[in-house]
Amino acid sequence: MVKISKLSDEQLVDYIRGKDKEAYVEIVNRYKDRLVRYATYLTGDNDNASDAVQEAFIKAYINLNGFNTKKKFSSWIYRIVHNEAMNLLRRDNKELPMFKDVDFKSGVNLEEELIKKELQAHARHCLSQMPLIYREVLSLYFLEERSYEEISDILRIPIGTVGTRINRAKVLMKKICQKTKK
Amino acid sequence: MPKNKKITRSAADKADLGEKVMAKIRSGQVKMKPKWLFIAGSVLSLAGLIGLSVSAVFLINIVFFLLRKHGPMGHWRLELMLNSLPFWVPVAAIICLVGGIWLLKKYDFSYKKNFTLIVLGFIFSIIIAAWLVDAIGLNERLLKGGRMRRLYQQLEKQEETLPRGRGNGLYRKNIQK
Repeated sequence: MVKISKLSDEQLVDYIRGKDKEAYVEIVNRYKDRLVRYATYLTGDNDNASDAVQEAFIKAYINLNGFNTKKKFSSWIYRIVHNEAMNLLRRDNKELPMFKDVDFKSGVNLEEELIKKELQAHARHCLSQMPLIYREVLSLYFLEERSYEEISDILRIPIGTVGTRINRAKVLMKKICQKTKK
Repeated sequence: MPKNKKITRSAADKADLGEKVMAKIRSGQVKMKPKWLFIAGSVLSLAGLIGLSVSAVFLINIVFFLLRKHGPMGHWRLELMLNSLPFWVPVAAIICLVGGIWLLKKYDFSYKKNFTLIVLGFIFSIIIAAWLVDAIGLNERLLKGGRMRRLYQQLEKQEETLPRGRGNGLYRKNIQK
């Protein structure tokens, strides 16, 4: 019997398509936290982010046969979530969402590390002030730890543009953070 | 609201999210699209792109054909051109080009490359292809025989008739004399 937890994402997709659609739950479990976190950075709202991710998982399942297993599944699913989040933003017509009280699950116990928490809150606040094009690259690169190539695949922009946007975003982030500290 | 309560709610939301998705799949409310649909989509898109490119080449080639066919009377050339040129040809060519470019943009690979270069290359290659078709005499062959004979003969006839603009009646009478 195949142990689905040991399969790579792409192998798992093949398995779901050919043998057991129930195995899709593994995909959902692997990605839901990071995708909700990413969508929250984009939309600035936890509920909207959950809706976007749920819709993205459904769309991904419907179009699973269209996924090319030679490519990275993570880029594909991030792309779908990105589109869903953009649709939500367009629908709500808010370009620069402000972060409300939002929880993020990470590997670190934030409650015990007060300083880190404050820093993170400050960084999040700065991030929320940034234009969307910079916010998306920054969150993908620094928070989701995606490579330039993956970001290029997710955002459908050339790799050179990814680099440029990240550099500009860093400068902008620094300015915003310094400004809000004062 | 206490922090731990919020974390519990957030975790419950995420678990709920997975359950909601799986419930829809299990109930058959959400179904996977069959593979042939994606294959057909890709084949049709590619065929559309090729078809649009060929149409653009063909239509621009007709413009070259008309430009070349106009007689040696230099001063009448522009007027003749403007009067006899089927304006739907360049319009349709531009529509075809825009359609082709749009399809190109939809393709996955386009964002990896310099898109401006792709667009310029696409337009340039279509014009070159149309000019080549004209230069190697394919127009003449199509005029003399082949499936497109009627269209080319019609275009040639149209070009031979005198301009229908103001005062051209007088010009026609003089010529007829």
